Amino acid sequence: MNLTLTEILFFVLSAITIISGALVIFSRNPVYSVLYLIVTFFAIAGHYILLNAQFLAAVHVIVYAGAIMVLFLFVIMMLNLNETTEPKTALWSKFAAVIAGLTFLPLLVGALKTSEAVVMTQPQNSDIGLVKTLGQVLFTDYLVPFELSSVLFLSAMVGAVLLGKKSTEETN
Amino acid sequence: MKAILVLTSLGIISLLAEIFRFRRALYPIVILGLMGAIATTVSYWWYDDGDFAKYFGGMINFEDSSVIFSTIIISTGLLWFLMSDTFFNKENPRTDLVALVLFAMVGAVILTCYTNMAMLFLGVEILSIPLYVLAGSRKDSLSSNEAAFKYFIMGAFASAFLLFGIALVYGATGSFNLGVIGQVVEAKKEVLPGFFMVGVLMLVVSLLFKVSAAPFHFWAPDVYQGAPTHVTAFMSTIVKTAAIVAILRLFLSVVFDDITSFWMPVILVCVGITFVVSNVSAAVQNNVKRMLAYSSISHAGFLLLAVGAFNAYSAKAIVFYTAAYSVGSILAFAVLTNVIKDHTGGPVESFNGLGKKNPFMALVMTIALLSLAGIPPTAGFFGKYYVFNAALQAGHVWLVILGIIGSLIGVYYYFRIIIAMYFKDANEEASVEPSKQHQLVMFVTAVIIIVLGLLPDLILGIGSAAEVVAAK
Repeated sequence: MNLTLTEILFFVLSAITIISGALVIFSRNPVYSVLYLIVTFFAIAGHYILLNAQFLAAVHVIVYAGAIMVLFLFVIMMLNLNETTEPKTALWSKFAAVIAGLTFLPLLVGALKTSEAVVMTQPQNSDIGLVKTLGQVLFTDYLVPFELSSVLFLSAMVGAVLLGKKSTEETN
Repeated sequence: MKAILVLTSLGIISLLAEIFRFRRALYPIVILGLMGAIATTVSYWWYDDGDFAKYFGGMINFEDSSVIFSTIIISTGLLWFLMSDTFFNKENPRTDLVALVLFAMVGAVILTCYTNMAMLFLGVEILSIPLYVLAGSRKDSLSSNEAAFKYFIMGAFASAFLLFGIALVYGATGSFNLGVIGQVVEAKKEVLPGFFMVGVLMLVVSLLFKVSAAPFHFWAPDVYQGAPTHVTAFMSTIVKTAAIVAILRLFLSVVFDDITSFWMPVILVCVGITFVVSNVSAAVQNNVKRMLAYSSISHAGFLLLAVGAFNAYSAKAIVFYTAAYSVGSILAFAVLTNVIKDHTGGPVESFNGLGKKNPFMALVMTIALLSLAGIPPTAGFFGKYYVFNAALQAGHVWLVILGIIGSLIGVYYYFRIIIAMYFKDANEEASVEPSKQHQLVMFVTAVIIIVLGLLPDLILGIGSAAEVVAAK
C-alpha cells in the first residue's frame, strides 16, 4: 500500500483527533478534559490545512483553541470543579443514556456502510480556501446570509447585556 | 424581503431610542412600523420585486406562500405588541426587550422565504437566540431562569442536529440550494447514500423540536410555564407558525418529494404520539398556563398532520390553521394575563365567576377556547376540518380518528375553564378590568375568529395561492 504524504498526515491527524476526543470524555479531571479538547481543535485545524483552507484553520485556532478554551478554563477555575465536586449520576440514568446513544450508533454505521468507499481527492480549485476566494464568495453569493448574520450577532449582544446588567426596573 | 428590512430597522431604532432618549415615542413607532411592514409585505401582490431577488444569489425567494405566512406572522406580532404593553411598560419601554422581539420576528420572516440551507440555519438561530433571552427576562424569578436554561440547552442541542443534518445532505448532494438538492434527489433517488437519509432524519428531528411535537416536546411545558406569560404567547404563536413554515418549505415542496416514503412515516408516527401525549397530559393539568402549553403541542400535531398528508389540500389547511390558531392563542393569552397576574400561571379556579365579574372578558375567552377546541362557528373548527380533509384525501384514516379523539379530550379541558367562568362562584371580589387597549385587542381578535368561522372562504382563497410551494 503506497501512501502519499497527504494520506499519512491525514491518518495521523485523524488518530490524534479521535484519541484526544475520547480522552476529553474519559478524563476525570475537567482541566485535563479542556486540555485534550485543545489538542482536538489543533488536530482539526490540521485537517483544514490539508484541505487547503488556511484561513479556516487560522480562525479555528484563534477562536476555538484561543478564546473559547480560555473561557472554559476560566469557568472551571471559577467554579473550582474537580473530581470530588463531580455530581454522582444515578445508575439508571447512565444506563438510559448508554441505550439512547447506542440506538443512534447502528444508524450512523449502517448509513456509512451503504455509501461508497470514500475517495480522497484534492480540491479541484486549489485556491478554494484562500481569504481572497472566501471574501469573493462572501460578498457575492452569500451576501444575504452574511448581512443577516449581523442581526443574529446584534440580538446575541443585546441579549447578553440584558441578562448581564443589574436590573433597576423589573418587567411584569 | 422588504419586511425583513423594515423589521430589522425597527429593531435598530428601538435600540437607538435608549441613546437618543425617545423611549416614550417608541411604542407608537413600533406599532406604526409593524403596520408598515404588513403593508409592504402585502404590496408584493401589486408590486412584484421579482428582479430584486436575483441579486440575492438564490438565498431567498419571496413568493406567494412567503407573503401569506409573513403577513400572518407580522399581523400576529402586531396583535402581540398591542396585548403586551404591560410586558415592557408602554410609557417608558424596555428598549432591549422590544428590540429582541423584533429581531426574533426577522428570523421568523426569513423562515418563510429561505431557499438555501444556510438561510434556514440563520433563520432558526435568529428566531431562537432572542427567545432564549426573553424566556429568562424575569431575572428575579427562578422558574423564568429555569425556562431560559432549559430552552437554551435543548435548543442548542436541536441546532446541532440541524447543522449535522445540513452537513450530511450537503455531503450527498453537493449543494445548499434547495432547488439543486431537489434536482439531485430526483436524479439519483435510487442510489442516494445512506448518510443522506440520516441527514434528512436529523433535519426532521431538529425541526420537530422547534415546533414542539412529541416525542421532542419535553422542553415545552416547563419553558412555556416558566417564561413570562407574554413571551409564552409569542412562542406559541409566532415561533410555532415560523417553525411549521420552515417544515413546509423543506418537506411540502419539490426538495424531498421523491423520498416521501422515507420521511413521511416518521412525521406520521410523531403526529400520532403527539395527539395522545399532549391531550392526555393537558387533561390532567390544573395550571391554566401549563394546560395551554400542552394544548399548543397538540395543535402542532394538527399542523404536522397536514404536512404528512402531502397533497393539494395541505398548504391551504396549514394557512388557515396557523391563522386561526395564532389569533385564538393571542386572545386566550390576552385574557390570561389580565386574570392571572402571577407569571407562572394559576389554577383553573382563578377563572371562577369571571362571567359575573367581567362578562366581556368571559365572553371573548369562551370564543377563544371554542376556537382552540374546534367547535363551530369559530375559525378553529374550519382549521381542523381542512386538516382532516387533507389527511383523509391522503388516506390517513387512523390518524384522523386519533385526532378526533384528541379533540374530544380537548373539549373536556377547554370547557373546564368555561364552566369555571360561568357556573362557579367567585372566591374573592377582586375586580379585573382590562385596559381600553386590551379590550380593543380582545374585541378585534374575537371578531376575526367569528368572521373566519362564518366566512372561511375569505382566507381560503388566499390560501390556495400557497400551493405554489406544495408542488404535488
